[in-house]
Amino acid sequence: MPRVAVGKVYRKKSPFEGLLQHMNKVKECIELLKEGFFRYVEGDFKEFHEVARKVSDLEHEADLIKGNIRAHLPRSILMPVDKRYFLWLLREQDAILDHAENLAQLLDLRHTEIPDELREDFKKHMEKVAETIKEMEKAVGNLKDLTETGFGSREREETKGYIHQVHKREWEADQLRYNITKKIYEIEDKLSPMDEYHLLKIVDWVDDMADHAENVADWLRAMIAK
Amino acid sequence: MLFIILVLAIFAGLYMAWSIGANDVANSMSTAVGAKAITLRQALVIASVLNFLGAVLVGKHVTDTIKGKIVDLSLMSQHDAMLGFLAALLSASIFVTLSTWKELPVSTTHAIVGGVAGFGLAEGGIQAVKWATLGKVAASWVISPLAGGAIAFLMFMVIRRYIFDAKDPVAIAKKLSPLFIALTFFIILMSIFTKTRAGELLGYSMKEYILLSVVISTILGGIGYLFIRKRKKRGRVYDVVEGLFRRLQIMTSCYVAFSHGANDVANAVGPVAVIIAFAWKEVDTAYLLAFGGIGLAIGITTWGYKVIRTVGSRITILTNTRGFSVDFAAATVVLVASKLGLPISTSHTVVGSVIGVGLARGLDAVDLEVVKNIIYSWLLTLPATAITSILIYMGLRILF
Repeated sequence: MPRVAVGKVYRKKSPFEGLLQHMNKVKECIELLKEGFFRYVEGDFKEFHEVARKVSDLEHEADLIKGNIRAHLPRSILMPVDKRYFLWLLREQDAILDHAENLAQLLDLRHTEIPDELREDFKKHMEKVAETIKEMEKAVGNLKDLTETGFGSREREETKGYIHQVHKREWEADQLRYNITKKIYEIEDKLSPMDEYHLLKIVDWVDDMADHAENVADWLRAMIAK
Repeated sequence: MLFIILVLAIFAGLYMAWSIGANDVANSMSTAVGAKAITLRQALVIASVLNFLGAVLVGKHVTDTIKGKIVDLSLMSQHDAMLGFLAALLSASIFVTLSTWKELPVSTTHAIVGGVAGFGLAEGGIQAVKWATLGKVAASWVISPLAGGAIAFLMFMVIRRYIFDAKDPVAIAKKLSPLFIALTFFIILMSIFTKTRAGELLGYSMKEYILLSVVISTILGGIGYLFIRKRKKRGRVYDVVEGLFRRLQIMTSCYVAFSHGANDVANAVGPVAVIIAFAWKEVDTAYLLAFGGIGLAIGITTWGYKVIRTVGSRITILTNTRGFSVDFAAATVVLVASKLGLPISTSHTVVGSVIGVGLARGLDAVDLEVVKNIIYSWLLTLPATAITSILIYMGLRILF
């Protein structure tokens, strides 16, 4: 191994690169889960086991990336952002995948029939949650431009714009969740207790993913503060 | 007997030049290769040629500092002084080689100063050592990184504030490029005029040199603008901006390599010149400088080759604007400090500049643990080379 006098001052890999890799796993996973969920809502349970397995695989892959990032952040590292915020962001981003995995396994363990009148609402809600995460991906993805410009104000403004979108979508997702929950209670006489329990649980768990996406956006906002 | 000492001195000088080349090539070329401004092969050729040219064309009066300013030679015999300089050379080059092996950028100037002070202490006692010079060396530990860090910090802040934050970064970068070109050339020209023999040969005054540098660099900035104005490059906005800084960075890298040859060749050649003068006769410094320059070039092409390659593969997070900020800071600090008579170190300045850019939120990650080890190695340079020098000196005294 050749030795270099100045070389060690620069670190080989940027922690932000790892964070973006982790984000790509989130992206892949949510796209997959959303498609699978849409079919599930329509009563097509056949391939859902496969979806749940893939979601679980992606969650595991992301975990490895997360572990790698954490392992390579020494105590005395000089970063353009607060390291604690960076780690919190990573943790919340990972929580999205944890919840995606929980949801996929719940759906896979018990094939819950979604009542006709709720199907569109379930899809809309999932769509909104996926949108929230997509906006979060844009916000986190802008870290590349942020690091390239040394966290210049122009790119910071752009990131803030995405963060604002995350909050907006998350709020909209909350509204949808409220409406679905209300509807479930309205038709509860028609539902078996187990079905009702599961329907409520599914809505909650879908919504959890958006909550964590919002947390990611919040940590990002703290990170890019001057 | 004298002949053996002479031969040993020449080999020791060559070894010192080799290790200087290997350790310091990273200072000038690591940022350029890391930011992919030039390829490894180009860096190798540029660094070897410019180090050699710097050493030969404008190498400083090689013997002055080494001979007179560290140790009072009147307190000892010529024979002892000869052995002492040989010991200093050997201890300094061993230390520099070890530092390169441990990947620590040390000051080769400090290494030789420590070596000479060591034998001075052993032979002439405390009063033989000129402590004021050593004090100045100690000042370099603080001044070089701080000054380098401050300038690099400011330079990167300027680039961010006026280019990256602009509505159209590419347009503004093109508009400002003549300013950056002129600034770069101003520093380079001022250094060549005031720090080297070129200036002495021309014989103008300081004021005239400043004026001359301003005029020439303004013209060059204008010419540069004519070229850049027409360049149409597509791609991501920030990539285009980085591309514009690429050329500037190549220039500053070249300058750092050139001035390194000019300044640091003395660390290898100086002691040899003193030994030859004592053992034989005064020889033309031009030959010695060429000899030292060749040593530097060999150091670069043998170990330096690996050095640059490793750095190139390692620095993935350094872009051209950062590289330019680091190089520009290093070049400026070396110029100003040497005008003020402070023995600052390029290695120290480069490390400080990297941290400066990091503090300006310009780098994704800087490992401060590594920086701490580097600072320890700076503090260790003087005592380590001094003690080694004393031991080698005592050994040589037994032999000769």
